[in-house]
Amino acid sequence: MTDVREDILARLLVVVAGIPNIRTALRNDVDIPEDKLPAITVFDGDEETNGAEDRSARLPGRAYVPSMMPEIVVQELHAVGSELSTFRREIVKRVLGDATLIALVGSNGSIRYIGCQTDFGWLREKFNAMNVQFVLRYPLKIEEL
Amino acid sequence: MALDYSALLFDPVYAELGVPATLTVGAAAAVDITVIDDTKPKTVPVSGGTQTAEVRGVGPAAFARVYELAGKGITRADYADAEIAFNGRTWIARSWELRGSPMGEDWGEVRFLLKEAA
Repeated sequence: MTDVREDILARLLVVVAGIPNIRTALRNDVDIPEDKLPAITVFDGDEETNGAEDRSARLPGRAYVPSMMPEIVVQELHAVGSELSTFRREIVKRVLGDATLIALVGSNGSIRYIGCQTDFGWLREKFNAMNVQFVLRYPLKIEEL
Repeated sequence: MALDYSALLFDPVYAELGVPATLTVGAAAAVDITVIDDTKPKTVPVSGGTQTAEVRGVGPAAFARVYELAGKGITRADYADAEIAFNGRTWIARSWELRGSPMGEDWGEVRFLLKEAA
């Protein structure tokens, strides 16, 4: 049994957990107390295939190349300034350059950086957050699931 | 104005709920005042992308009487970045908002929005 999507998501967490100064690395956690910051969270995100447009007579079990769009959210409290730019640089560099992820998407797949959004607010210190988005195309072989 | 809201409302409330504090502006000497600790739970959302997440913490804040501050030489120009110490913690006023009274804003309260002192 092989679930490439799950393998990619699990690997993403390992990759971003190694970023310097990150205290907590989580997956799909939407409720974080401030003492776990700086935190980085991998959200599974959406996935799309070309299945809706496929009007061919191929068997249902044909191979797909889905586009999965995980989101990586980094959150920090900072008395002065922000380290978001440093975190963004590390996330993009590590995800796009990770040999394991590249191997998982294979020669017919790809990994692309889509962009990021920022959010700011106040708790006891200044709250800074950034959502970094990627799209990964990978081979989905039904017979391997 | 028939009612003196300072004497009848704010002063008795501060006598019961207020705590001693010091307010320091720049290099000036600290001034003793009374504040009401308004620190509350606070949640900040992260709304980028398709996923919404939240971080829980506290929003430190304190009420003070505008007329007490004015009487001790602290003007509005002094509010921002003032150091305020109470209940065993020291904070910096990152912002503030006036809470008026029927007698006018000079006889109401100021709510200091605080951040941890660096």
